[in-house]
Amino acid sequence: MEPSDPARVRRWLSGLTKSSQRWIRATVLAGVGVGLATIAQMALLAWLVHQGVIEQHPLADLTPAFLALVTVLVLRALGQGLQTRFASRCSEEVRRDVRRQLHRKWQSLGPVALSDTSAASLTREWLDHVEALHGYFARFLPQMMLSVFVPLMILAVVFWLDWLAGIFLVLSAPLIPLFMALVGMGAEKVNQQHFETVSRLSGQFLDKVRGLTTLQLFGQTAQASDALHQRSDQFRLITLKTLKIAFLSSAVLEFFASVAIAVIAIYIGFGLLGYISFGPSSELTLFSGLLILLLAPEFFQPLRTLSQHYHDRAAALGASAEIMARLDQPTSPVKATGLPGSSDAAVIDFHRVSLCYDTGPEVIRNVTLTFRKGETIVLTGPSGGGKSTLLHMLAGFLQPVSGSISIFGKPCGEQPFGWLGQKGFWIQGSWADNLRMTSPEASDIAIEKALHQVGLADLVEHREHGIYSMIGEDGQGLSGGQARRLSLARIFLADYDLVILDEPTAGLDATSEIHVLEALHKLSEAGKTLILSTHHQALMTLADRLLIVHDGEVKDA
Amino acid sequence: MRDLRPWLNLILQRRGRLAIGALLLLATLISGIALLALSGWFLTETALVGLLFAAGVQAYINLYVPGGGIRFFAVSRTVARYLERLYNHNTVLQLLTDIRVALFDQMAQAGHRDRGRQKGAHWLSRLTADVDALDTLYLRLVAPACLAALVALLVVLLLWLLLNLTIALTVLVLLTGAFVIASWLLYLRTRTLSGELSGRQEHLRGEVIEHLEGFSELTAAGRIGKHAALLKRQSLALDKDQAVIETRTGWHLAITQLLINLSALLVLWAGFALFESGSVSGPVLVMLPIVLLGLNEVFAMLPDAFGKLGATVAAAKRLNEEVEPSAVAPAISITSTALTATDLTIGHPGTAPVMTHFSLTIKAGERLGIVGASGSGKSSLADTLAGVIPALAGTLQRPACAYLTQSTVLFEDTVKANLRLGNAKATDAELWRVLELVELAERFTREDEGLNTWLGSSGNRLSGGEARRLVLARVLLSGAPLMILDEPFTGVDTDTRERIAPLIDRWLEGRTVISLGHGPEALLPSDHVLHLN
Repeated sequence: MEPSDPARVRRWLSGLTKSSQRWIRATVLAGVGVGLATIAQMALLAWLVHQGVIEQHPLADLTPAFLALVTVLVLRALGQGLQTRFASRCSEEVRRDVRRQLHRKWQSLGPVALSDTSAASLTREWLDHVEALHGYFARFLPQMMLSVFVPLMILAVVFWLDWLAGIFLVLSAPLIPLFMALVGMGAEKVNQQHFETVSRLSGQFLDKVRGLTTLQLFGQTAQASDALHQRSDQFRLITLKTLKIAFLSSAVLEFFASVAIAVIAIYIGFGLLGYISFGPSSELTLFSGLLILLLAPEFFQPLRTLSQHYHDRAAALGASAEIMARLDQPTSPVKATGLPGSSDAAVIDFHRVSLCYDTGPEVIRNVTLTFRKGETIVLTGPSGGGKSTLLHMLAGFLQPVSGSISIFGKPCGEQPFGWLGQKGFWIQGSWADNLRMTSPEASDIAIEKALHQVGLADLVEHREHGIYSMIGEDGQGLSGGQARRLSLARIFLADYDLVILDEPTAGLDATSEIHVLEALHKLSEAGKTLILSTHHQALMTLADRLLIVHDGEVKDA
Repeated sequence: MRDLRPWLNLILQRRGRLAIGALLLLATLISGIALLALSGWFLTETALVGLLFAAGVQAYINLYVPGGGIRFFAVSRTVARYLERLYNHNTVLQLLTDIRVALFDQMAQAGHRDRGRQKGAHWLSRLTADVDALDTLYLRLVAPACLAALVALLVVLLLWLLLNLTIALTVLVLLTGAFVIASWLLYLRTRTLSGELSGRQEHLRGEVIEHLEGFSELTAAGRIGKHAALLKRQSLALDKDQAVIETRTGWHLAITQLLINLSALLVLWAGFALFESGSVSGPVLVMLPIVLLGLNEVFAMLPDAFGKLGATVAAAKRLNEEVEPSAVAPAISITSTALTATDLTIGHPGTAPVMTHFSLTIKAGERLGIVGASGSGKSSLADTLAGVIPALAGTLQRPACAYLTQSTVLFEDTVKANLRLGNAKATDAELWRVLELVELAERFTREDEGLNTWLGSSGNRLSGGEARRLVLARVLLSGAPLMILDEPFTGVDTDTRERIAPLIDRWLEGRTVISLGHGPEALLPSDHVLHLN
């Protein structure tokens, strides 16, 4: 997938804020409250020190101010708590929206295009990348606004106290965003790369773990471990290069904050001594001087927090780029030609259908076919000849580049039908859960019957909980043949008119093969339309019509 | 918490690095606190001396030492921060590698297990998330917690020296409270939810993967939207629970900082009393509350890490289960010639044996075919002979072997790297020859990259038959004297199979071959065929 344009990614991201505006605003408001409480806290602290140390007031006189300070501290804590409470809700809507968008995309891509990407990567996008948006909306975005409001409030107070000290802060302040922007631009790009590298490294690790048994059989685990180590180290060196730059932004900020505090401290100190003969410094007292000093770090704090949340932004941008790349992935056009399909409800009709992938050679060439309802059609021919492609088009998983296909007078995929791919599919759960995936209303008896039809009944009968016992409880799972029979049981249960099967017996053991054959025979007897591909002689005997698919063309055998 | 121990030990192997990193962190923290505290001290001192000057009293003030100190701390804070971040992130990345490599090595040592078949696809992604959770254990949890405790104790010590023991102890109590609230108490309050959350996330991940695996069937059945709605609902519930944890973390942070601020206030209040009696100077009185306020920075790092600790512990616990050595190791004596199996009991521990009293002798160079239906224990037999699972009883002697498993495993790597697993020393010419043998040479000559063609996830760019032939080629590259081939031709069409089987037979001349299949046609040409019932 091509990386998306960064500006577009940012636009998409800010477009998502609309649904969460309310929470973001509340978070900022609470943050402003905390800022005000902080100013009050520091002011009371400085005032108390001034009253006690300079004016030498007895402690007893100061008790009200101490109590006021306690109140302010409690208020500040309340504000802080509320701020995180609101922030935690900021991305709820956003995450829900994006998950919905992604799933809609999966559906329009269809199972064939989806299978080009591993299920684990797609799941990562749907769960982890969407999750990565949270930090941006909950932390970065509110903090960005706070890092404008709070410093301005503090600046106003400092100017009121001593305009020269205010100017020191003003002078250091605009440099900070400037530096951060400069450094941030570099860091952002590398950060995205970092994100990608981490996901690749994880992929490498997982891939090796997945094939661990194979590596063990070839005695290659030590080599694999070395390779993993090497790749991790490469990854570390690349990342460190990035970090050297990325950390500069926080160093710059730290430097300005430190220097500003030092300059202000020395200026105020000299002012208090009366060494400075110009400007407002003659007005300085311990109260105003100390307050300016105490506020100086608070002036920089929101920006420092923002720079800590910078990685949230980078992570969100990285994740968004990948999400957008997925959302931008081209789907095959729904209807390439204006040709309407046949409206005959008793036939499946291919009319001059062609298909090619990207700009490659045609995989299916100008195929015109008509199958009647209730027929069993068997496709055979060499691997790579186009059998699976033909079945995928029939299922609506692939769209023809030209021509049209209609199923019983309707476009492909409009009516539910049975599909049995080369891999059976089962979920962690009971037998009943598995069968109710596609037929939620099915009765227990119907489920038992369906399992019986495919010869899986004896796996269930002796179990304590019958069809409610868990599949794979013995840690063994299902064999390939059993998984395929389970899928076939779903087809029995759902009672579809049309059943499409892609090499239903490939790689099956003899028992499973017999059961599958029998089951297909029963389906055919029941008047279902079966369309299947196979190399298997026994299956071909089921055919009402045997077709040979070779080099993208279809002939009757 | 015990579950974290092996991982903490692993991290502690880099003790030197960790210590230097912690010292840099300490230097940063102390520079920050000292900069502000010294400035506060300096202001008060100048204010007091300024008053004396204004009253016309002769007074002396040393400007150079505090001025130099302020400048020094301003620079040292910046430099220490930058070095600390760079150094510690390098450490974290090294730990990240250490953890993955150690985990892989331990899993490799834990014995042969066909994990994929046992645990399903989502097990792998759970593993990733679990490993990720351990990556920041040091920088986020261990280092800040130690430093917060250390710096807090230093501050208490300073209070004892400059004020008195009672104040120091009272502040110690407040700071201990703050520490416990930020760490342990928060951990207790989020442990269950946070620990479950990662489990639930991984459960959901498993379900999403299943959803994708069943995408064709679910789409065909018109159930894809309904099923997705279920997943969306679950993820929303997770988001909400995550928000609960974040909110609790936020409140704990707020209360922690409240306690620290109150302790600063307490020091000021108690200090005033001492100031009035003349036992403490004004500048020191001002400096100490500022020092206490400075503790906020390091304490603020704790709640976030401890709010997630429950999840981290749960992750560590799962990983520990993963690397437990398998109960029994395969006991196979390697001989140079024949394969002799005597009275084997075959099966998985804890379940009824698949086969008992199995005995077999194969002479060197002999070809044996084994035909068996599903459930006949064919693959378990192959696994046992190859040593993937140990025999439950009996003895097995055989030469070194190459084993083609029933499942087709390709790595996300080049064709070359995938093939070379079979024989690391194979030259390109040899690779092409074996590809020719399984009729894949033409397929890859067509690719621009030839042998360097990248195979996508699970070898997705290959058809089932092509992938099978590729892993077959990989096994054929191995020079092992014994070949065990379980369903060598799964997904390979009849014509191709009939063409390549005799060629493979010739290629393997002189070697002992056991091929297993669901029917005689799925085997290589054999001297004898054994039927399993």
